[in-house]
Amino acid sequence: MSDVRQPALAVEGLTTEFRIEGRWHAAIRDVSFSVARNETLALVGESGCGKSITALSIMGLVPKANGRIAAGRVLLEGRDLTELDEAEMETVRGRAISMIFQEPMTSLNPVLSIGFQVEETLRYHTSLSNREARERALALLEHVKIPSAARRFDDYPHHFSGGMRQRVMIAMALACSPQIILADEPTTALDVTIQAQVLALLAELKAETGMAMIFITHNLGIVASIADRVAVMYAGDIIETASVEALFDHPMHPYTEALLSSIPRVDRDAGELKPIAGQVPPITAMPAGCRYADRCPLRVARCATMPPLVPLAGDRAHQVRCWVRAGDGGQTP
Amino acid sequence: MLTYIVKRLLVAVPTLLAVLTVVFFFVRIAPGDPAFIILGDQASQQAIAAVHQELGLDRPMLVQYLDFMSTVLRGDLGMSLVTHRPIWSEVANVLPYTIELTLTALVIGVVLGLPLGIAAARHRNEALDYAARVFSLLGLSFPAFVSAIMLLLAFAIELHWFPVISEARPGDPLSRVSALVLPAINLGLIMVAYVMRVARSSMLGVLGEDYIRTARSKGVPARVVIWRHALGNALIPVVTVVGLYLGVLIGNSVLTEIVFNRPGLGKLIVNSLNQRDYTMLEGLMVIYAFIIVIVNLLTDLTYGLIDPRVRQR
Repeated sequence: MSDVRQPALAVEGLTTEFRIEGRWHAAIRDVSFSVARNETLALVGESGCGKSITALSIMGLVPKANGRIAAGRVLLEGRDLTELDEAEMETVRGRAISMIFQEPMTSLNPVLSIGFQVEETLRYHTSLSNREARERALALLEHVKIPSAARRFDDYPHHFSGGMRQRVMIAMALACSPQIILADEPTTALDVTIQAQVLALLAELKAETGMAMIFITHNLGIVASIADRVAVMYAGDIIETASVEALFDHPMHPYTEALLSSIPRVDRDAGELKPIAGQVPPITAMPAGCRYADRCPLRVARCATMPPLVPLAGDRAHQVRCWVRAGDGGQTP
Repeated sequence: MLTYIVKRLLVAVPTLLAVLTVVFFFVRIAPGDPAFIILGDQASQQAIAAVHQELGLDRPMLVQYLDFMSTVLRGDLGMSLVTHRPIWSEVANVLPYTIELTLTALVIGVVLGLPLGIAAARHRNEALDYAARVFSLLGLSFPAFVSAIMLLLAFAIELHWFPVISEARPGDPLSRVSALVLPAINLGLIMVAYVMRVARSSMLGVLGEDYIRTARSKGVPARVVIWRHALGNALIPVVTVVGLYLGVLIGNSVLTEIVFNRPGLGKLIVNSLNQRDYTMLEGLMVIYAFIIVIVNLLTDLTYGLIDPRVRQR
């Protein structure tokens, strides 16, 4: 994918902190990436690496009681969303940026009909009359392939299966044709066959509308099938970003490598699976240098200081945060 | 919804029959022969037998029971032993006062308690939240008769804003209102404390739910998120407490009516106790049971109104 396109969304140096026992700790640190129209960026990493916090920070939904965006900008067509107050943010959410959540079973309001919940997005972002909003909501439900949508419009979430609820979520997120959609593990809670259907639906809708998508997942199989570019996160840092092909063919960061070799594959013995030894450092005790150093087989003395995210000489779109692998322009394998 | 209503109504019927049965046997099991109460300790065997016959107490228990059930279900509660007037008309005289007091207290409780609880939840661990929690703790710890006496001392005796004896003069609607204020505040403030507490904790739970985040991610304004998305879900425990507390409220209204010297069911029940008006007590127990069954029915119907998942059951 080319870099010259105007990004739909650019995140620059985003740092989000949480207060734990009176002290602020960064959950994500200096996160930067951009996503262009009609492009899907996959944000990959294990649980707790900061993928969802990144998404919530973009949406301005970090809980205010104990969380804050400490630094960085979120640029939507040049406008910095972190500068907006709550009322202004309400006009952005659902209209310019939408989000799909992981848990379809709990993400819909149980006491409101699904038709109403889809309609509601339109109500606050468009000047449609009630009747028009209802018609448009019905069209959306049909579009995401809810069977007999007209008859089920006034049904409640508990009448629907997980897969169907996720379709309703997607209809809600798409209601105002947003430029960007954040999908936070939208298929993790679903059965495998339903997963495939929902992924196909998302890909189809993206192609149709030309929106940009940030797809958060820990499932590298999904990344291969849906993403154009990938950003790998580890302990709150982006440690590698590349096109899907480059990442799967030549992973540079030792963590990415380890991640790829920990996927079970049909053509290999389970004995060849390599779990990554050690664990992610806790948020309250992050090392000053490379956060993967403790688990890294390539560790050198220099890893005690934080490496920058640098482009490789051969492929400028492929960036890696590792002294060993990028120290000499990524020439040493 | 209609099927749900019909189902609830059908469930209420056996409940009511069971309650009536308990009342009947409870009164029969209680020690003391009503004939002695009517005639005194020195009454002759003949006189007692005559009273037994008059009251139908000489008949077999089952016959008495069936007779009791059929008269009660026809709406006939019998005669007072003391005043010899129909119990129903005695009750009808004072019932409006108790209903007026209880409902006003209920309205005060919900109208103040609900927004207060919601505000406390939204501003958790801020000054407003602490103030609301201290207030609710005070409200819950004061027995109704203590707060009643304190209100009387302050507003009726010291400040003379309201009458000490809360009896309305006939044909003077304003006196009826001013007689209602202090007793209603007394019961209402306790209700505020209950409702506020439950609304706060239930709201706190709901505000952390995924669907609240979903609503916010759609750009739904904060006000609407609170009042439509959160409250719809937070209301069930509040309705439960209001329903349960209505029972407590009726109990508390007994004490409140006595302290404020106000007519009502509570005063009637205490007077009948003092005069050992045994048929009146039986009648009042039926009335109270009936009220509680109706309140429970209304609570159930409100659940159905709020939660579509309940309607389906």
